[in-house]
Amino acid sequence: MTNTTPNTARPARSRRVRRGPLSLIGDVVLGLVVVLIFAPFAYTIVTSLRPPSDVVKDPLGWPTSLTIDNITSAYSKINYTQGLLSSTIDLVGSLILTIVIGSLAAYPLARISRSWATWVYRIFIAGSTVPIFVLIAPLYLLLRDAGLLNSYAGVILTYTALNLPVAIFFYTSFFRQIPIELEEAAAIDGSGPIRTFFVVLFPLLRPVTATLATFLTLAVWNDLLVPLVFVQDPSLKTVMVNAYSLVGSYTLDPSLLFPAALLGVAPLLISFAFLQRYIVSGLTMGAVKS
Amino acid sequence: MITRRPLVAVAFMAPAVALYLILVVYPLVQGLILSTTDSKIGNAADFVGLKNYAALANDSDVIRALGVTIAYAVVVVIAQNAVGLALARALFMRPRIRQLGSTLILLPTLMSAVMAAFVWNSLLAPDGAINALLKALGLGTLTHVWLGDPSTALWAIAVVNIWMFAGYSAAIFLAGYMNLPAELIDASSVDGASGWRRFTAVEWPLLAPATTVGVTLSLIGSLKVFELPFVMTNGGPAGSTTTLTMVIYVKIFGGGHGGFAYGATIAVLLLVIVVVFAGVTQALLRRREERI
Repeated sequence: MTNTTPNTARPARSRRVRRGPLSLIGDVVLGLVVVLIFAPFAYTIVTSLRPPSDVVKDPLGWPTSLTIDNITSAYSKINYTQGLLSSTIDLVGSLILTIVIGSLAAYPLARISRSWATWVYRIFIAGSTVPIFVLIAPLYLLLRDAGLLNSYAGVILTYTALNLPVAIFFYTSFFRQIPIELEEAAAIDGSGPIRTFFVVLFPLLRPVTATLATFLTLAVWNDLLVPLVFVQDPSLKTVMVNAYSLVGSYTLDPSLLFPAALLGVAPLLISFAFLQRYIVSGLTMGAVKS
Repeated sequence: MITRRPLVAVAFMAPAVALYLILVVYPLVQGLILSTTDSKIGNAADFVGLKNYAALANDSDVIRALGVTIAYAVVVVIAQNAVGLALARALFMRPRIRQLGSTLILLPTLMSAVMAAFVWNSLLAPDGAINALLKALGLGTLTHVWLGDPSTALWAIAVVNIWMFAGYSAAIFLAGYMNLPAELIDASSVDGASGWRRFTAVEWPLLAPATTVGVTLSLIGSLKVFELPFVMTNGGPAGSTTTLTMVIYVKIFGGGHGGFAYGATIAVLLLVIVVVFAGVTQALLRRREERI
C-alpha cells in the first residue's frame, strides 16, 4: 500500500483484504480442530451403541444396528450402582466440608491485615503446588493408625484437606471484594461476627461457591489415586476405581471400555448441562485471578 | 466486626487450620523424615541420613524417569499452549460462535484421565480406529502400534494429555483476550497491520499474564502426570512411559518390594522439581510481564 492511497479508503480496504481468504482458512482450521476435539466423543457414543461383532469387523463403519447391551453389560461389570453411591457420598461430603470450613477460614484471613494472617494465608496457598505423591505414604500410615482406611470419613477428610488451598484462595479473593461497610452496618445493628457471617455474608458467596463447587466436583469425581490407595473394601469403591479394575483383562475392547467411559462421565455431563455457565468460570477463575 | 474479635477470628480459622495441619503439613514433614530412614513397608525404621538421596543419583531407573517426565512436560507445555492460544484467538475473532465453541472444547477437560485413557487406548490400538482411519485414507504405511513401541508411546500419551487440556489452555488465553483494551485492537486493525503482525506486535505481548498462568499450570500438571501413563501403558513398553510419579507409586504401593522410604525420597525429588521448575518459570514470565 502506497502513501498516495486516500486515507478514507484505507480502513475499509485493508479490512476486506484481511477478512477475505485468511479468515476463511482460519474458519476451516478452527472447524477442523473443534472436530478433532469432539470426534472421540462422538465415536465413543456411536461405538458404545453398536453390536461388538460389527465393531470388530469395521471399527469405522456406519452403525447398521444399535443395541444397549454394551451399556447394560458395562453397567454390571463395573458395579455402577454401588460405585455411583460411593462416589456421590465422597463428593457431597467433601464439597460441604470444604465449602463450610474454607469460607469460615477465608473470612478472617481476608479481613485481618496483620502479618501472621498473611503467613497463614501463604502457607495455605503453598499447599496447592505440593504433589499428592509427597503426602501419600505418610497419609496412608496416618489414616491406618487412625482407623480411617476403608472409610468414607478418611476419603472425605483427605479430599477436604487437599482442596482447602483452592477454596481459601477463591473465598479470600471474593471476601476482599465485599465492601466492609456491609459488616459495619450489621455490627451497628447489633449483629455479632458469627451472625454476620452466616446471615449477611454467606448468601453473597453463592456465585463463587458455584464456581468452586464446579472445580471441586471435577477434581474429586475424576480422581483415581486417593480411593485406589485408601479403600480396599469393595462396597466403598468409587466409579473410577471400579472402572480402573477393567484395565488389564479387557484393556482394548471398545465395546466394554467405551460404555464404561460414558457411564463415568455421564453424571458430570448431566449436572453440568444445568450449570453450563459455571464450567468456564470454575475452570479458569482460580487460574486467571492469581 | 471480625477484626476486633481475635478469639472469634481464631475460632473461624480453627477447623481449616487443624485439618490442614494434620492431613497436609504433618504428612509433608513426615514424608521428609521418612526419606531419611530405611522403612520398608511403613513400619518402624532407623535413621540413615541422606543415604536414600545418595542412592537416587546412582539409580538409573530414577534418572531415566526424570528424563521421561521432563521431556513429556516440555512437549506438553509447548504444544498444549500453542494449540490453546490458536483456538483462543480463532474464537476471539468470531464473537458469534465464541460461547458455544469455548464450551465444546472444554468437554475433554471434564473427562477423568481414566475415562480418557479408556477411549484413547482403544483408538490407538493396533486394530483401533486411528489405524483404520489411516488405512481408509490410503495412508496404510503410517499405521503403527502406537502404545506398544517405546519410540511413540510417550508421545501418544502426550497427545491424549493435549487433547484433554488444549481447551482449558484456550479458556485461559480467551480470558486474556477478553481483558485486552478494545481500543488497542481496533486501532491496530485500522492501521492495517496484517493478522500475523498484529498478533506478534500487539496481542502476544499483551497476553503475557495469561501466558504466565497457562504455562505455569500446564507445567505443574504435566510434571505430576500419573493417571494417563498408569492406565494407558502402566509405564511400558520397556519403561519408556515410566514417569517419576509411576516410580513413586510402584515403590510405595507396588507390593513386596519394601521401597516405602525410598519411594518417599523420590517423592521429595518430585516436589523439588515441581517447586523449582514452576517457581523459575513463573518468576521469568512475571519479569517478562513487567518488561512489557
